[in-house]
Amino acid sequence: MMTRVSLKNVLSAVINQGAAEARAWIFGHQLNPAGNKTPHKILRMKLFGEKVAQWYPHDIKKDDPLVMARQEQERLSKLEMLKRRGKGPPKKGQGRRAAKRNK
Amino acid sequence: MSDQRNIRDHKRRLLAAKYELRRKLYKAFCKDSDLPSDMRDKLRYKLSKLPRNSSFARVRNRCISTGRPRSVYEFFRISRIVFRGLASRGPLMGIKKSSW
Repeated sequence: MMTRVSLKNVLSAVINQGAAEARAWIFGHQLNPAGNKTPHKILRMKLFGEKVAQWYPHDIKKDDPLVMARQEQERLSKLEMLKRRGKGPPKKGQGRRAAKRNK
Repeated sequence: MSDQRNIRDHKRRLLAAKYELRRKLYKAFCKDSDLPSDMRDKLRYKLSKLPRNSSFARVRNRCISTGRPRSVYEFFRISRIVFRGLASRGPLMGIKKSSW
């Protein structure tokens, strides 16, 4: 449409094309007089994927191999202790779910 | 367990961010009634071929501390239980117990 917004241009647009067209031109609206299905609503939304991707902060512990190794060592020693007491995890096929399934 | 679920949700978020523009364009083309029907069908097929985990509807706001999927404040990204504990101890900036 026209390039510059001035009173004369607005009035000539009102006279030539109608008030709805002039209003849409002034405010930047998307005219849809017939009510057709358009993708305008989808396309005008801004992209928000990067903001969604930044939900979880970076865990600085996972960069340190010493910390991860010590945690793994703690886990293994705890597992050994449980096995010694007879409270370790069951073997494959002998757990509660597997026993229920075999019944 | 909470770490596993958070990791999975994080993968979904990265995938959603990666395919966001493509999914948006395919959806817009499917909705456009000016295009011919066979082209829209083709684009609908392409939309269905995107990975399922790249949909934004599969993203779940979980607590970054405990992994709780419900009652998570979007501003603090923690659940109500963690929020209450932190608010009681005072590390949350700007949060104060009300008293009047």
